[in-house]
Amino acid sequence: MSETIAVIGGGPAGLEAARGVAELGGTAVLVEKESFLGGTPIRERYAALTPHFQSAEEAMGVLIDGVTSQPTAEVLLEHEVTACEGEAPDFRLTVTGPGGERVIECGSIIVATGFEHFDPGRETQLYGYYEHPDVLALQDLESMLKDHNVVRPSTGLPPERICFVQCVGSRDRHIGNEYCSKVCCGVASKEAIEVRQQLPGCKVFIFYIDMRMYGYWENQIYWPAQEEHHVQYIKGIITEVLKKGDKLLVRGEDTTMGRPMEVAMDMVILSVGMEPSKGTRAMAGILGIEPNKYGFINAANPPLDTVSTSRRGIFACGASLGPADLEDCASSGGAAAMKALAFLRRKPVKVG
Amino acid sequence: MTMTDDRSAFYKNTNVAGFDDVPFEEKERLFGLVKADMRFPDYLYGCYECGICVAACPSARFYDFSPRRIAQAAGREDVELVYQQMQEDVWECSQCFSCVRCPRGNNPGGVITVMREVAVKEGLVSAREALEGYSRIIYKIMSTGTQVSPDMLQPDAFPDWGPEVKDVSDNLDLWRRALPPETHHTTSTGWDVDEKTLLELYLIWFHTGALDMIAEVDEGLHMILQEVMEERLEDAGVEV
Amino acid sequence: MPIPVEALLKKKEHFERGPDDPRSEDFHHELFELEEQGEWIVHRAPEPWVGVTTKYGNIKKIPKAHLWHHKSCGQCGHIPGYSTSIFWVMRKLGYDYNDPRDQTSCTAWNYYASATSNAGAQAAVAMRNFAAAYESGYFPLIHCGTSYGHYKEVREELMKHPELRAQVRDIMGKLGKQMVMPEEIVHYSEWFYAMRHEIAALQTRDMSGIAATVHPACHYYKLVEGDAIYDPDVYRGQRTAIVTGVAEALGAEVRNYSTWFDCCGFGFRHILVQRDFTRSFATLRKIERMKEEADPDVVLTHDTGCVTTLDKSQFAAMAHGKNVGVPVMSEAQFAALAMGAHPYRVCQLHWHSADYRPLLEKMGIDWQAAWAEFQEDLKKLESGERKFSTWDDVG
Repeated sequence: MSETIAVIGGGPAGLEAARGVAELGGTAVLVEKESFLGGTPIRERYAALTPHFQSAEEAMGVLIDGVTSQPTAEVLLEHEVTACEGEAPDFRLTVTGPGGERVIECGSIIVATGFEHFDPGRETQLYGYYEHPDVLALQDLESMLKDHNVVRPSTGLPPERICFVQCVGSRDRHIGNEYCSKVCCGVASKEAIEVRQQLPGCKVFIFYIDMRMYGYWENQIYWPAQEEHHVQYIKGIITEVLKKGDKLLVRGEDTTMGRPMEVAMDMVILSVGMEPSKGTRAMAGILGIEPNKYGFINAANPPLDTVSTSRRGIFACGASLGPADLEDCASSGGAAAMKALAFLRRKPVKVG
Repeated sequence: MTMTDDRSAFYKNTNVAGFDDVPFEEKERLFGLVKADMRFPDYLYGCYECGICVAACPSARFYDFSPRRIAQAAGREDVELVYQQMQEDVWECSQCFSCVRCPRGNNPGGVITVMREVAVKEGLVSAREALEGYSRIIYKIMSTGTQVSPDMLQPDAFPDWGPEVKDVSDNLDLWRRALPPETHHTTSTGWDVDEKTLLELYLIWFHTGALDMIAEVDEGLHMILQEVMEERLEDAGVEV
Repeated sequence: MPIPVEALLKKKEHFERGPDDPRSEDFHHELFELEEQGEWIVHRAPEPWVGVTTKYGNIKKIPKAHLWHHKSCGQCGHIPGYSTSIFWVMRKLGYDYNDPRDQTSCTAWNYYASATSNAGAQAAVAMRNFAAAYESGYFPLIHCGTSYGHYKEVREELMKHPELRAQVRDIMGKLGKQMVMPEEIVHYSEWFYAMRHEIAALQTRDMSGIAATVHPACHYYKLVEGDAIYDPDVYRGQRTAIVTGVAEALGAEVRNYSTWFDCCGFGFRHILVQRDFTRSFATLRKIERMKEEADPDVVLTHDTGCVTTLDKSQFAAMAHGKNVGVPVMSEAQFAALAMGAHPYRVCQLHWHSADYRPLLEKMGIDWQAAWAEFQEDLKKLESGERKFSTWDDVG
């Protein structure tokens, strides 16, 4: 029987899943819509990864080599899944690419189409991302950090005061994203440390509702950010950003005093949350698997089975399931590979 | 601890700087009334204590007032704190509803609206004191269907609004007749309201219990209003 | 500038909401469903109407004509040039309307100030007015920002709570009135926005030298925030386009200031009996900031409370040496002036407090001659030659 497993999406989770399938002796076909592998960390030009500060390119490079070095892993770049027919273990997955259409016959499918960053224009609070050049999002700053060129877009000069605003697009009943995006507290703190390293004269502030520093992140990121790098953490989220002169005024509550406060900043970085990517939304429809109410793929048997979907033989991993950090991607990628292959190898149960 | 039916002992003393304390059960009861309001579940979910509401609030800049504390007290069912807030805090809110920016979907201004109504209905002295000086306005809106009529622009009522107030009051009749909209030639109301419309308004006040709420705020005012309304309804042959 | 920054700025130029925003769900479905269930009649927006976009990308119908003017007590009472200008502009554009006597105030001022009312009374007052409009055959146009916000709130409560509908139906029954909910709750400033190009086409005075700051009313865009006008060409769709759209269409220069989202400080009861709060807020947070940062010739807003607060708070503040002294008016009065309206006969600026005369001079209006003309009108009224000024008398 064919042990071909289609992995849709070549980001960290998909790469780990494809490598896992191949290492275990199956055949992986990795379908990626971009012309490169590595997913969002590469496309958005992430600088260093959270929490260990390794270069995104190096880390993804390791994962990519892990796949491309496998003889039983095939990579299809610039290809998108456009149709799916049949039932497990006989799926016929149509993919379309620059050369035209091709049908992949596979026994099971792993969805790893990931997330996209929340668009700050949809935020309930009044941050003016589309009005003020100096209001940016986390991934915008990543790109500047990577180039060692953190400057105010309005002047081209380095900022003297920069602040992060947490929970943008997450944890909000109006927007409908009633979840925490898990990584933004860690990522913002990591970026804060990097700013302090690249611009020692710049004051860095983080305005937050709660500081979500799960597990070892507490001591890997949060404590050093405060203790070594003197990032200022202020409990009290920002609601408005307005222009005053050539600065930005941010407005929040000084919860130590219990009073409204407004302070001037040179740059405001919005810690945007995760939403399902267009690919994730599309796969739910094309593959006929249930999304949850946020549009992420629904893990059908939580909490102990984190990768099975509502359809036999189709699994999901990484941020296509919901907010995920890199460890989640690696873990769920591996779990999906294991389950997708085990599904095919299971002896059929005799009935009667 | 038994609760006496006669609550008036706690509400008679009008000569206070602060407010009278009442038994815990009374505070629970008052909070229970707030919680039981039809709108309350729409107005209060959980609270992040994030401060967005305070940051957006104009009253928080001027008074020692915090919509966050309102939401937190109600959320925690801290009936002592809610009782305190019902005396003073709730009257500091400017009802601008900037606080509905709350990411949890709370409406602290809405919670305050409900708390105020309970304070008024239950005859709290602090409510009466807060609404002192407001009786004229209540009378005008309830009996004429418009508010802040032209003839209320008197220089001794609004000395800080500028010398134009005196000009208006000196020339009121003339200036009103100089307004082209046909409905605006009034001085004791904002515009000319039909008699039938007023009777419909009175019936609304009667049937919804809004008129009765005034009895707790200003007994004299309530009496006058009731008389005026009943008389006009009777004249028109309408039964209440 | 290095490439990444340019790329970032390019990315931030254009905001596209996308199809998956749950807030784009249209409440009208529920309105019509309730109509099918027999809960109420939905008063359809009459043709012709203009479609405008609201915050989450839905279309709102703004009828051009056959409007029932739901007047504002504060406007008609204290700043009657505001409502007069609304009628005047509508007449000039040639659209028919009804100025009813069968209309009560929304009573929200009392409700929010004194809480001597309740959800049932407020809903009944609203529905009584809507029914009266329906009976007249004209479609309600709400003059006051607070009435508008309050009625949007009432609509939500009625949609959500069948027991409230039942209570109001019972009362409407006693009044011999039907349960009617308008298809849209339309604010007059939304009509002005929808008509801004028709208004500009009739413009006779040049506003290009006038700098304005805009104060958007809290109750317009913060209550039921999805039902408010947003325009990708105004503030890139990030702030409500109301008032600004009209000012820009008239050629005025709209300037920014750092307390744009702040409340004016009206506070309902506060402006009448606790004016130190209102005055402090209006002058320190709004007027002073506007003057300091934008130095406008006029402050434009679109709500009764806001005009009153921002205008009347300046006099006493001036005595305390505050940086105030800028005229305040509605965009309706501003549009009327742009269309050649008489500053006193129509815009009734003599009811305002902050000095508007430098503004009129900048607009090329000889206010002394205009005042003399108005005085002539008053003489005629005094002598009995005229009983009232009519629309024919004011030009």
